[in-house]
Amino acid sequence: MADIALQALSKVYRSKVQPEGLLALNRVSLAVADHQFVCLLGPSGCGKSTVLNVLSGLDQEYDGEVRVAGAVVSHDSTHPIRLGYVFQEPRLLPWLTVRGNIEFALESVGIPKGQWRERINGWLDRVGLHDFAEVHPHELSGGMQQRTSIARAFAVDPEILLMDEPFSGLDELTARSMRELLLGIWLETRKTVVFVTHNCFEACFLADRIIVFTPRPGSIKQEFTVELDRPRNYEDPRLFDMSVKVTHFVTGGRE
Amino acid sequence: MVSLVVLLAVWQLASVAFTARYVPGPWLTFSAMWEHLSSGEIPRHFAFTMTRMLGSFAIAMAVGTVLGTLMGLYRRGEQMLDMWVMVGLTIPSLCYIIVSFMWLGLNDRGAVLAIAWTTFPSIAINIWQGVKAIDQRLIDMARVFRSSGMRRIVKVVIPQVLPYLMAAARFGLGVVWKVTVFVEVLGGSDGVGYMLNYSFQMFNMADVFAWTIFFTIIMLGIELLILKPIETRLFSWRPDIRA
Repeated sequence: MADIALQALSKVYRSKVQPEGLLALNRVSLAVADHQFVCLLGPSGCGKSTVLNVLSGLDQEYDGEVRVAGAVVSHDSTHPIRLGYVFQEPRLLPWLTVRGNIEFALESVGIPKGQWRERINGWLDRVGLHDFAEVHPHELSGGMQQRTSIARAFAVDPEILLMDEPFSGLDELTARSMRELLLGIWLETRKTVVFVTHNCFEACFLADRIIVFTPRPGSIKQEFTVELDRPRNYEDPRLFDMSVKVTHFVTGGRE
Repeated sequence: MVSLVVLLAVWQLASVAFTARYVPGPWLTFSAMWEHLSSGEIPRHFAFTMTRMLGSFAIAMAVGTVLGTLMGLYRRGEQMLDMWVMVGLTIPSLCYIIVSFMWLGLNDRGAVLAIAWTTFPSIAINIWQGVKAIDQRLIDMARVFRSSGMRRIVKVVIPQVLPYLMAAARFGLGVVWKVTVFVEVLGGSDGVGYMLNYSFQMFNMADVFAWTIFFTIIMLGIELLILKPIETRLFSWRPDIRA
């Protein structure tokens, strides 16, 4: 079971400038079931990325309780489960090839060396980078780098996949095809996904559930359920209606 | 190759114009070099110089790397050392040399201390910049994939610092070899610097030329045959240094 339970999660950032601290997250409680695709939607600075940092164990100073697959994410260095993470930027190691970068992740999570080749080739095929395995990241376009990062995240066979605005740095056409790619892969693998975005249409296109965050301090304002069948189609008018509804809500009816 | 021929021609002309007493021609210079090479004089003194260079280079790299790392990692370290490294960089190398000789005497220990002392601040600054430039986001990526601390250092941190380490080494070596000769002129009883000084006392320009050119050729050789290939190999992934 790869479920997630946040219980009254709060986060205060302390700095020299603000010794009393800046409240980034205010008592967020959220349960994500196994195999669910959940989008966290909200404006920049509302603390959605902080939720991912806490879930991934990168940020261990918070209040409240965080359980992943039933285990508490504690101040222990090893995370209870295997994670995939796609960051906003590709975060590839520039001195390694595409293959080398995925191998780095496979080795880190402890996947036996005998499986590397098959896994890597399989995932590179899936993301359309079959011919680029031995190429260094700087020789790839931004979209191809991000596809490498997606292949890396899936290749470790994660129980939970965390994605932090992974397509926001790409042009819209590339982002579109990447969303379709992601949805295709997700349909086959059915990982639990927590996907952070500020793009309402993207959230509607991808998610089962959309959790809307308030501006800072971030808290849950509203939840939407997207009841559209998969595979979803960009041209679907119901998707468009849903997106309008969510956008309207997020912007407070100002559009 | 053409530039080399032109250089030799200009050199020969200058020799004719200013007489061989002031500008000994290529022939005279290289026969002097050959003479000292075959007599074993050049290899012997060169070995002394090399030993001092490598010893002090190793010390300077070690001290510079430790200080630079401390400065890059800890704000306290930066505050404490920043100013002093700058001071260290500003003080003329002659002062270090004199102080070292007065402390330790006109011997190898004094020489090595002087050279290392002159060199380590610039190495520390290079390493400091390198450590500060480490991309935390890549380290976080490695942590998310549950990479162990040791693997993070070896596979994520060190490769990022390596270009700076390499730059520090090349820069440091450049300083070391200049200062070493200088130290030997001032207080040596052997080494390339001492022989240069000796030739100067004798007003033997051909010998001065011979020693200088030999030394330069060796240093260029180290640069081109050792450092450059290492760098090309290490950083072949970088788009800008395709050799």
